[in-house]
Amino acid sequence: MNDDIILQTDHLSKSFFKYQVLTDVNYQLMRGMIAAIIGPNGAGKSTFFNLVTGYHTVSGGNVFFKGQEITNWARHKIAKIGITRAFQVSNIYPKLTTYENVRQSILAQQKRTLNLFIPAERLAKQETLDLLEITGLSGFRNTEAGILSQGDKKKLELALALASKPDLLLLDEPTAGMSSEETHETMQLVKRLNKEIGLTILFTEHDISVIFGYAQKLSVLHQGILVAEGTPEEVRQNKEAQACYLGEEI
Amino acid sequence: MDKKYIFIKRFWLPVALFFIAIILPFVVSEFWVHVFNEILILGLFAAAFNLVFGYMGQLSFGQAAYYGIGAYTTGLLMVKLQWPLFACLPVSMLTAGIGALILGYFCVKLRGIYFAILTMAFGQLVFFIIFQWYSFTGGDNGLQGINPPEWLFKAIPYYYFSLAVVTIGMIILYFITESPFGYTLRAIRDNTERTEFIGINVQRYMLINFVISGMFCGLAGALWGPFNRSVAPDLCGWQHSGHPVFMAVMGGPHHFLGPMIGSVIFTFLNAFVTGFTEYWPLVSGLVIIVVVLVMPGGVFGIIKEKGYFSPRDVGDVKNE
Ligand SMILES: Nc1ncnc2c1ncn2[C@@H]1O[C@H](COP(=O)(O)OP(=O)(O)O)[C@@H](O)[C@H]1O
Ligand SMILES: [Mg+2]
Repeated sequence: MNDDIILQTDHLSKSFFKYQVLTDVNYQLMRGMIAAIIGPNGAGKSTFFNLVTGYHTVSGGNVFFKGQEITNWARHKIAKIGITRAFQVSNIYPKLTTYENVRQSILAQQKRTLNLFIPAERLAKQETLDLLEITGLSGFRNTEAGILSQGDKKKLELALALASKPDLLLLDEPTAGMSSEETHETMQLVKRLNKEIGLTILFTEHDISVIFGYAQKLSVLHQGILVAEGTPEEVRQNKEAQACYLGEEI
Repeated sequence: MDKKYIFIKRFWLPVALFFIAIILPFVVSEFWVHVFNEILILGLFAAAFNLVFGYMGQLSFGQAAYYGIGAYTTGLLMVKLQWPLFACLPVSMLTAGIGALILGYFCVKLRGIYFAILTMAFGQLVFFIIFQWYSFTGGDNGLQGINPPEWLFKAIPYYYFSLAVVTIGMIILYFITESPFGYTLRAIRDNTERTEFIGINVQRYMLINFVISGMFCGLAGALWGPFNRSVAPDLCGWQHSGHPVFMAVMGGPHHFLGPMIGSVIFTFLNAFVTGFTEYWPLVSGLVIIVVVLVMPGGVFGIIKEKGYFSPRDVGDVKNE
């Protein structure tokens, strides 16, 4: 297998009971890319992420990460090997402060969570503050995460995923609930991380301008089937892709 | 903020309680010294239980099993092998921990009500083994003649001995709850699913915590035998598993000292009320109802709401 392929799925399928939600998805993602999976609501985008990260068990096919098969691995193992994700519906620690949320993920990444005797508040201070800073959450570090606004919860969602220092970051509608300014800031951050540390990013998004503004590669999912793939320009010209977005100019 | 000020704000209460505990035997009668000794032992039991309940967010209805294993370990070693009490304490923690490891292995696969039921079922299992195993445990007769050494024989010295052991136990538990491990427990409580996705093997952490809790339950149990001069199988029974639940709920499971405060209320009321009436279960039931209705979050829940404790400020971490 090509060394530059960071993620590959072979005939990846998922059915819930008798409903086939994802069918034979053959997907490849090159290291260092920013790529997007697009498609109408219910196309199976989140399900694809759920299969790759172990949230759901795979019904058929295989998932490879850096050439290693990871199909149906335990969630924490997939996270540890270098794939982390931000959820579509923010999935944070509502009773912990924003600071404690981020610190928790950093401590996990530093493999310090089995430490029983050093107070957590003495550890990972600078790392936590830095990450809060770059995700624009510094002002809320003492706020209980449960009462943050939707947009700030999504930023925290991103921070939790970044704290794990992944090689592949999956972002499921990362800017949902954000203002256009926040959306822009967040995507700029994603782009910067891609440039500066070579982080590979795969995201889903509804906002057409975000998709075409940031993704280098697009894959169109329709009713669980990968119908088109290519550069944004190629996809724009693609008849099948256009059909999926009937009525919408892409 | 001034470091000294933060320190005082955080620790004035436990320090004050500790000094009150030291002075108590000088101002109360021997009967009440006994009651306070019981408060300490059951308070440690409840604080250990609360690692699983308040911090990890799972209700165990079977921690008395590990309390009982600790009590019987010390009892058997002292009665049958004449071991010194000091040596029995760590061994009791070890046996209780092993018990919690074996039984907890199955419990941590479950969550919520299923977790509660399995812990309870295993608690009853331990109860029945001890109850039935006449030749070894004395069955329903229990074990008698668990006498502490000469210098601890009287009520007051043993009280101070308990105070020392319980204080050390509580300090260790406090450190654990403030450690990265302790915060990982809170994370599991708050959002188990997310915790897996930041790379934490949740079941493994739950099991480790269950074992730690079991060990300290065992330590509390080990103090009980010599205090009471005997142990009986109902120390492991489900009713006894309910006591730390009451205490944590009354005192406040989301504050480290909550279970200990709950023990003060519960044990004190118990001793007080049984002096007047045999309807202690009725009274304790009423108290629980009042607590749950009037002050969800327990005593500490109320205090926190009124603002005596502000949320921990991390605003100054950069300047410290
Ligand atoms: N846990 C589930 N159980 C049953 N059906 C599900 C589940 N998760 C998703 N689905 C179904 O799978 C389809 C794809 O959903 P999803 O992957 O969330 O789509 P998208 O993210 O592209 O909007 C939808 O029809 C949805 O109803
Ligand atoms: Mg989705």
